[in-house]
Amino acid sequence: MGTLVFLKESVFSDEYASRKGFMQSIDPRFKAVSFFLFILTALFTKSIATSLWLYLLCLMLVCVSKIDLGFFLKRTWIFIPIFSLFIAIPAIFSIVTPGEALVSFKLAGLNFIITRPGLAGGALFVTRVTVSVSFVVLLSITTKHFELLRVLRVFKVPHMFVMVLGMCYRYIYLFVEVVENTYLAVRSRVGRRVHYKKGQRMAAWNMASLWHRSYRLNEAVYNAMLSRGYSGEPAIFNDFKARPRDWVWLACSVVLTFISLNII
Amino acid sequence: MKKKIFELRDVRFSYLGKYPALQGVDITIEKGSRAAVIGANGSGKSTLLNILDGLIFPDTGSVKFFGAELDEKALADERFNRYFRSRVGLVFQNPDIQLFCPTVKEEIMFGPLNFGFSHKEIKKAFDLIVDVFGIKDLVDRMPHQLSIGEKRKVSMASVLISGPELLLLDEPTAGLDPKTSRGLVDLLNEYHDDGKTIITATHDMHIVEEIADIVHVFSRDKKIIRSGPPAELLADTEFLEENNLIHSHFHRHDGKAHTHPHEHPSHDHTH
Ligand SMILES: Nc1ncnc2c1ncn2[C@@H]1O[C@H](COP(=O)(O)OP(=O)(O)O)[C@@H](O)[C@H]1O
Ligand SMILES: [Mg+2]
Repeated sequence: MGTLVFLKESVFSDEYASRKGFMQSIDPRFKAVSFFLFILTALFTKSIATSLWLYLLCLMLVCVSKIDLGFFLKRTWIFIPIFSLFIAIPAIFSIVTPGEALVSFKLAGLNFIITRPGLAGGALFVTRVTVSVSFVVLLSITTKHFELLRVLRVFKVPHMFVMVLGMCYRYIYLFVEVVENTYLAVRSRVGRRVHYKKGQRMAAWNMASLWHRSYRLNEAVYNAMLSRGYSGEPAIFNDFKARPRDWVWLACSVVLTFISLNII
Repeated sequence: MKKKIFELRDVRFSYLGKYPALQGVDITIEKGSRAAVIGANGSGKSTLLNILDGLIFPDTGSVKFFGAELDEKALADERFNRYFRSRVGLVFQNPDIQLFCPTVKEEIMFGPLNFGFSHKEIKKAFDLIVDVFGIKDLVDRMPHQLSIGEKRKVSMASVLISGPELLLLDEPTAGLDPKTSRGLVDLLNEYHDDGKTIITATHDMHIVEEIADIVHVFSRDKKIIRSGPPAELLADTEFLEENNLIHSHFHRHDGKAHTHPHEHPSHDHTH
């Protein structure tokens, strides 16, 4: 249950996005562009210092956006290992990246040698991933999710893709609700302790009926869209308004990008 | 004689070819009228509204919209489609189906955006409708997280913003408390006073008289078996009971009794 509550709070609450911090005050389009620049820089730089500096920049932005640093680190570091370590760890060894030996050890009769270029490359890789993940997470928690969807559409991401994303979001929410309600229903009927097997079965049954429902739902939703004039053409009400501060922020981020690229 | 918006003759429809939902329905909708379609669960009310909204088409029988056949071919024409969709609006029975946008604001703007209204017009209509329904606080919320009453208001606002000439409502007061229900009924009547046509499917007997000048009753075999003024039909308790619209305890609200005088043709009845 704890994880569910965490999921609900962290993914579905726009709590951080509604705070009045610095990043929240920037037009989502400008925010997306500037973060995209930073991520590109991190991906193309060959220097760990640049990557680290960008990471520091991200953390500073977190601090001025009224976001709890601990929360932010927890959110990002859940993803970082998944993306990076699996790819980076093999690369630090001599089999994949040959070079000057730094450490060598024997494991299960095999000789493992960690090489200097291998280690440096691995570290660079990890910092790149860290920077990318951190900026993406910062963007997503300082922007209301529907605004993110709208930014995608403003930037001409195919309509279908954005719609599917939106629907996924809705289904996941529905899913969380179903699991939560099942749990509550079971608990209220059976008392405090539910054998987890039984709870699982009920949740599974619920899921089956949910998918069945969602199939009929999709058709009905499509009809509801037709009824209000949907003809496959995307229609979007673009009321984003750029203010001077957004342009200032964009200019600053371009300058920051250049500075970053010159830090050797 | 009044203009006929819809004229349906012997309309039959079954889902997937095997679940019958309408078995020979005749109905005429006059411009500017207020009609109610009542009937027990599963008697075909929603199916009828879907046919009137041009979302599904009868297996046999004819549906005429201002004298011309309304079928898939007619709606395939882009201009006619836009014309039809902007003039006929359906508020679905299940608001979770109706509400598919990420926010209430986008939900409400969806129709007019697709109909190609200018942004200025949309902004104006949006502010007005949000004000009428008193949902200003909800505009940035996610529709599926609202209460049922709020969902119904948003559904209705998202259809009414385009100002359809013919408004189809599928059980608009289901699950609402009496006060919210009351508010919606008043709103609908104001809309009708503007010259619009309204058809409401419901089995909420308490609102029938207030929302309709003519009532069509569906029987359990998915046909309209009787049409007439609400006062006359509601007085015939035996008939209503036969068609599962009321049960014998229906008019037993002591104290508050007789707020619906037509359900009590004679006041000397006993239970
Ligand atoms: N999507 C569907 N698939 C199969 N049968 C359906 C579907 N929708 C409705 N029905 C059937 O059609 C009949 C009429 O349903 P409906 O029009 O929803 O009635 P009402 O709105 O009066 O409750 C019912 O018997 C119902 O079971
Ligand atoms: Mg129905």
